[in-house]
Amino acid sequence: MAFASIEFKGSSFTLSVLQLKTSLLVDIRADLTKKIAQAPDFFYLVPLVINIEKINDSIDYQAVKLLIEELNFTFVGFTGSVDKEQRQLIRELGFSFVNTARASTTNGTSKKTTAAVVVEKAEKIDSAPQRQLYTDKVHRGQIRSGQQIYAKNQNLVVIGSVSAGAEVIADGNIHVYGALRGRAIAGATGHIHAQIYCQNLEAELVSINGNYWLSESMEDHWGSPAHINLTDNELTSAKLI
Amino acid sequence: MARIIVVTSGKGGVGKTTSSAAIGLGLALKGNKVVLIDFDIGLRNLDLIMGCERRVVYDFVNVINGEATLNQALIKDKRVSSLSVLPASQTRDKDALNKENVGKVLEELGKSYDFIVCDSPAGIEAGAMMALYYADEAIVTTNPEVSSVRDSDRILGMLASRSRRAELGLEPIKEHLLLTRYSPKRVAEGEMLSVEDVEDILSIPLLGVIPESQAVLKASNAGEPVILDTDSDAGQAYQDVVDRLLGDTVDFRFLVAEKKGIFSRMFGG
Ligand SMILES: Nc1ncnc2c1ncn2[C@@H]1O[C@H](COP(=O)(O)OP(=O)(O)O)[C@@H](O)[C@H]1O
Ligand SMILES: [Mg+2]
Repeated sequence: MAFASIEFKGSSFTLSVLQLKTSLLVDIRADLTKKIAQAPDFFYLVPLVINIEKINDSIDYQAVKLLIEELNFTFVGFTGSVDKEQRQLIRELGFSFVNTARASTTNGTSKKTTAAVVVEKAEKIDSAPQRQLYTDKVHRGQIRSGQQIYAKNQNLVVIGSVSAGAEVIADGNIHVYGALRGRAIAGATGHIHAQIYCQNLEAELVSINGNYWLSESMEDHWGSPAHINLTDNELTSAKLI
Repeated sequence: MARIIVVTSGKGGVGKTTSSAAIGLGLALKGNKVVLIDFDIGLRNLDLIMGCERRVVYDFVNVINGEATLNQALIKDKRVSSLSVLPASQTRDKDALNKENVGKVLEELGKSYDFIVCDSPAGIEAGAMMALYYADEAIVTTNPEVSSVRDSDRILGMLASRSRRAELGLEPIKEHLLLTRYSPKRVAEGEMLSVEDVEDILSIPLLGVIPESQAVLKASNAGEPVILDTDSDAGQAYQDVVDRLLGDTVDFRFLVAEKKGIFSRMFGG
């Protein structure tokens, strides 16, 4: 039966996998906190799958999930080659267990820490695209101090200015048709091709794929239309028009 | 239908109460029925500026709690009969108000008044949110300095997201920029932001520019809103604001420093 308002489809995504080597939550917390401190923007709201195959003793699944969320990740589920009973237990606790896609479907260039995973029961498996194509989330009007807008799995188009003290975040690109005076974080979940465009660069911070600049690094194009991207893992700015 | 106008800012000490009093009185002098409400529970300032502090018997919180009727609490202005003040309580704290009861009071007042002017407390907490929640229009009172502009920007965000109009998806609150304590001389010397700077950052329509003026302090000490001082620059600037609120197009004044005469220049007057 077809529904007018919804449709289920299978799709595969590149997700970050966190490999746990201990069941000691204090240690996990300490290391994760250090890791995040290196690139807070990069990890913010990143969807995370937890691999538990290296854990031999018992682990508190609920506590792991809460820890992950407390550190501002988006918890997806657990993974790893574990026995049937353990999978069953995880499901009964209300968590999803995700299987890694077979080698043939994974993207060969993916780093050690990422793997293409497929939520079980998905009907179709596509290989993950190299360069993601995002749709646009369009915001009309000024984004004021204290406000935050996040375009999850999308580009963000702001028709208006972003005030000092405001924050715009996108998994894709950010376009500001106005002045960018607040913080702009593009490629928030890891995307080296993300770009930031604005008509007037006066930002407090810009970040792409976890690499960031504070105002002082924006001197070259301060107060003018600018385009910022990542070249060889370094932020660069150019005159926009 | 009454126009509910909140005078707000985020930051304290920028001139909200001064402006509420001047604008409220000015609107009443033009023949409108106006009620001024002091939302700054715990501080109670508006009645002082209006010069009716000795006539406060019941207050806004008494009305909210059903301890007094609106008519018992409203203080009729001695200068203009179409103006009333609903004073704040000095003894209660900011949590004394709640949305539902404030809504009822405003609805009741809306039946007999043309304008309800709400003098907001500073900050972005419950008290300020209560003052702006039911507003149709907001006079965003801003001083020409960075921190005040930043706080106004924040309040503009709240107006667009936390008000009744925003929650119900109605037409947004009409925003007006009121620049107060403006000193063209200090702007020229680069110590203050200019009108253009502030307009550029906040990008909302300019309602008025009130110069920094000795007349304001004199007026508050006397309990006579500065708009009554028709010879003063601040009084005239507030008059322009009132006219603009009533739909007139009025040129902006007091934007440039007065050129000093040869004598004052020689003797540093
Ligand atoms: N245009 C002005 N020129 C000089 N002083 C002013 C002016 N506007 C306000 N003030 C002074 O600034 C102080 C704060 O004003 P007030 O209206 O009480 O601000 P708020 O209600 O925003 O806290 C008062 O001492 C007042 O006399
Ligand atoms: Mg006040």
